[in-house]
Amino acid sequence: MIEKEKLQDYARKLMFEMSDEEYTTLQKEFDIILKQMDLIGKIPNISEVQPMTFPFVTYQQQLREDEEAQEGVLVVSEVLKNVKHEVSNQVKVPKVVE
Amino acid sequence: MDYQHQTIMDLRKQLDDGTCTSEELFQTALDLAKKYQESDNSFVTITPEFKQKKSQSLLNGIPYGLKDNFSTANILTTASSNILKDYIPPYDATVYKKLKQSGAVLVGKTTLDELAMGGTGTTAHTGVVRNPWDEQRLIGGSSAGSAACVARGIVPFAIGSDTGDSIRKPAAFGGIVGFKPTYGRISRYGLFAFASSLDHVGTLTRCVEDAAIVTDVLKGKDPLDMTSLENEDLNYYEHLHDDIKGRKLFYFKETCDLENYSAEDEEVIAVLTKFHELLDRLRKEGFEIEGISFGKDLLNAIYPSYMTISCAEATSNNANLTGIQFGPRGEGSSIEEIMFDARTKGFSELIKRRFILGSYILQKENQERLFLNAGRVRRLIVDRMNKLFETYDGLIMPASGGIAPKFGERSDELSERYLLLENHLALGNFGGFPSITLPMGFLHGMPLGINLTGRIKEDGVVLTMAQKIEDVAGYRGIVAGDQNV
Repeated sequence: MIEKEKLQDYARKLMFEMSDEEYTTLQKEFDIILKQMDLIGKIPNISEVQPMTFPFVTYQQQLREDEEAQEGVLVVSEVLKNVKHEVSNQVKVPKVVE
Repeated sequence: MDYQHQTIMDLRKQLDDGTCTSEELFQTALDLAKKYQESDNSFVTITPEFKQKKSQSLLNGIPYGLKDNFSTANILTTASSNILKDYIPPYDATVYKKLKQSGAVLVGKTTLDELAMGGTGTTAHTGVVRNPWDEQRLIGGSSAGSAACVARGIVPFAIGSDTGDSIRKPAAFGGIVGFKPTYGRISRYGLFAFASSLDHVGTLTRCVEDAAIVTDVLKGKDPLDMTSLENEDLNYYEHLHDDIKGRKLFYFKETCDLENYSAEDEEVIAVLTKFHELLDRLRKEGFEIEGISFGKDLLNAIYPSYMTISCAEATSNNANLTGIQFGPRGEGSSIEEIMFDARTKGFSELIKRRFILGSYILQKENQERLFLNAGRVRRLIVDRMNKLFETYDGLIMPASGGIAPKFGERSDELSERYLLLENHLALGNFGGFPSITLPMGFLHGMPLGINLTGRIKEDGVVLTMAQKIEDVAGYRGIVAGDQNV
């Protein structure tokens, strides 16, 4: 079974916390998932295949014109409407540099 | 015929001859949305204000639902997650923009599995979505609310997204049509990314004709999505009734041959019996259909490869959810503490588990064995499919090995039924193939779906073949609760 400490380390890197009970569930889930994932390695000569990262080959896109790029630009005041703490058109957070 | 059974063209005719107005249709849809919200929970937000830009489109005046992971300016968009529970986007997704321009009228933003990462419709921050055919059962996900509101007859169409089977599976469990066109056929701009190399936009409707009509409106090159496909001078609706004689289909023998199952797999046998009965009827209408051996190793590897790729991509895509630029701000004395608090409170347990899995897969020591091997399996599967598509026009399969499960029922996740029959639809996402699910019959009063997957960019051929299957199967336009189906 995968160690709880490892899972805690991943959670920390992902910037969230989980309860002890949740880690226990996750450990059990990992047991199943890792068995499922073993099925991937069972394919003969798998290491000789080039990994696929996109559904199909598409040709190179041309760079778009500036006018079109302008179209998608968001207005700062609109974007800031979702920010809980805003000062002078900027997002306010605790001091980073002392 | 009552409103709930009407297709887009039925409503179009009434709007055009003045029998009803778009305001009246909207009001009817709105009343139904409110009436069934407590039982079905299809919507995160019902939009009570009638807003319409008039146009010459077939969708002018037609009510619809939009999955709540498409950005809608000034309308709450939560992705059914607590971390976005109060997020009001400043911009429109291209899909929403196109629907507004077509004159379609938004009735509500539909419930999904949190951040579209799930297949049950049970993980939304606003609660579970229930299957309108039986409230004890789930409808499937992640486009759960979009499927439920169409199956209930609240709207004739809804928009969904599909990363593994998130349109096509709930369509099967809801007795409706779920269509995921070729990757990039519809712009993803404004769709909250789950796994970008697998994410597709598509439609949920009650007939193939409506899927074609809506896709005709939504398709096309979008300068804001570099992966969107070039415009093609094609009209899917006009070609729906083209001749299909001689079209060749295949199915996986490993999954569909009855002799692979023992008597205790009662439900699977019942589903496959109906599947083969329908294939016989399709053969009489001119389809040539054969079983082929795809290879059990490859078929068994679809689901774990899907999980590996999607969780890894999702972990990275959702790193922007910090509660600082948007979403509920966490508590703490440093940026790190604020993010920790926001993400701890904002994500449900399931999402955290998926992210940890993604992180595990992306660790340096696991990349070769998991992430890269999953990509290799993906290539083998897609290459094999493309090879088969040199001979055949499509893959035809049952969408699922059974009817919609009851809440709390769990599958054996290591069983071949689970790996082969419940999760094969993800191969449509691996290769970006156009893929459609439509009703093929009933078992214990619950609908069953059949799925058809075709060559990339041949969305029209898939829709034309699906139209014929719908004609033969005979379940066009059904609504939850219909008798004698």
